[in-house]
Amino acid sequence: MTDGAAPAFTTSELMVAAGSRELQDGQLVFAGLGIPQLAAHLAQYTHAPHIRILNEVGLVDPHLIELGVGNADPKHWYRSAVFSSFVDIVGMTLQRGLVDVGFLGALEVDEYGNNNASQVLRDDGGLRRFGGGGGANDIASNARYTIIITRHERRKLVEADRLVHNTSPGFLSGGDARHRAGLRGGGPKRVLTDKAVFGFDEQTHRMQLVSIHPGVSHDELRDATGFELDIPANLPTTPPPSDEEVRLIREELDPKGMYVSAF
Amino acid sequence: MPGHHPGSIPITSKLKTLAEAAALVKDGDTIAQGGFACTRNTIAFTHELIRQGRRDLTLSSAVLGMDADLLVGAGRVKRLIYGGGSLDRFGAIQCVNRAYEQRSLVPEYYSSLGICTRYMAGALGLPFMPIKSLLGSDLLTQLEEETAKDNVKEMDDPFTGEHLVLLRALVPDVAVVQVHMADAEGNARILGPRWDNDEAVKAARQVIVLAEEIVSTDVIREQPELTFIAGYRVSAVVEAPYGAHPTSMYKCYDHDEEHLRLWVSKARTPQGAMEYVDDWIMGSRDYYHYLERVGGFERLQEIKADSRLGY
Repeated sequence: MTDGAAPAFTTSELMVAAGSRELQDGQLVFAGLGIPQLAAHLAQYTHAPHIRILNEVGLVDPHLIELGVGNADPKHWYRSAVFSSFVDIVGMTLQRGLVDVGFLGALEVDEYGNNNASQVLRDDGGLRRFGGGGGANDIASNARYTIIITRHERRKLVEADRLVHNTSPGFLSGGDARHRAGLRGGGPKRVLTDKAVFGFDEQTHRMQLVSIHPGVSHDELRDATGFELDIPANLPTTPPPSDEEVRLIREELDPKGMYVSAF
Repeated sequence: MPGHHPGSIPITSKLKTLAEAAALVKDGDTIAQGGFACTRNTIAFTHELIRQGRRDLTLSSAVLGMDADLLVGAGRVKRLIYGGGSLDRFGAIQCVNRAYEQRSLVPEYYSSLGICTRYMAGALGLPFMPIKSLLGSDLLTQLEEETAKDNVKEMDDPFTGEHLVLLRALVPDVAVVQVHMADAEGNARILGPRWDNDEAVKAARQVIVLAEEIVSTDVIREQPELTFIAGYRVSAVVEAPYGAHPTSMYKCYDHDEEHLRLWVSKARTPQGAMEYVDDWIMGSRDYYHYLERVGGFERLQEIKADSRLGY
């Protein structure tokens, strides 16, 4: 945690390992490309070999040998157990209540875990539209719990009333609001950033720190967070990835560094 | 013996040219597009729609791709019914996103399952279907208050009291799908995952099948378990090899990275998108001419898929 020493791992490798450790053997995991898919594969290679990965296009458990450009790339479909459809995966598995963990990316996340996957405001106040969430709202609504992955910046981790578009509901206004809205899934369990890991208070469902990544200072964390942050003095440090985890990521999972270079 | 036909089984041929099939679409129609992001897009068909001047279209798809972006860029779309869209790492669907920002069309924006649920109600001949997504989100507020007042309602389950969103059936005028193999009647095989194709095809009033390969019905009937679309649902069958170019076709060819990047760079501005349309679509005599212009046999051979890997 001191300056000077060359890190034995990168921040994205730490995030992949932290994501992997949230997963348990035998779970059905909804994971799109990038850090989520790498985290799920890392878990399969280590403590949770029987995880089955789902992808909304209609894939069950792909075991790719080359990373491609995205979900639409047949490289990402290689050695799947099943080819099916959105209705099979997003409807008859996810909405049916069978998915344990769903990963979500985010343009913005508010302090109650509500997640914007649609559009942000430009500096001049105009709208900057992205392609849309696809299955993100379905995952946020219906998975037993979700893990949100986002870059840790002040404009991305925002106060509840500053979220530009609630595409994928977390705990809405907090408390039991999510349950009252009729949402079946359990909502976000973790928010994983390039600086820290968050969980949620059991009563208020407001985001709270679980751990801070090695080398990140409390001031840096506070500066990069757009909502009021309570940093406990004894906040644990996120465990670094093991040598074996780093080796697996570099040599087996993403040898070209296509996705671990995202952060 | 009953049902025995000596020789070949007689079938109704629905084989049409690309131009004849595109003429089945009228101005103002709703088209369910069969692609997903940058794979299995109906590019050949989209070129022909643009060439024929079709306009005021509504497009529906769980995840839009380049074909939607071309039609929006060419100014032919008045409404989108969709869950998302992208060209994966090559970039965004910039014409669609710009049209959303400027509200130059009506964006009816759901989740992927939302689109499939609307198709499924249509496919089952039901007026609507409940969904447990969308609750509490800004997607729902936007749909109820702005873009889809007549298509989205909320109610409590009359049996249990559970709160539900109801989505009205979507019955597209036409579903278009690029497939791997079809016979002349339209019995068709799709290899790889099928995203929203099953429900879209079964909901639509007419189905247009664009096939990489047309085969005798005897070939289809050797392995009917592989038939994904039943011929009786199909209005037109078109032979369209490389009809998804520059998007990929599983087990046939990869995306053409060079040409996708060209579209992404042109689509950065409305003028650039129109230049692309004028040059590559209007400026090509037909789709075969377009394929020659993007590099012809040599280029198509380069992007051909490895038959075992599928890409």
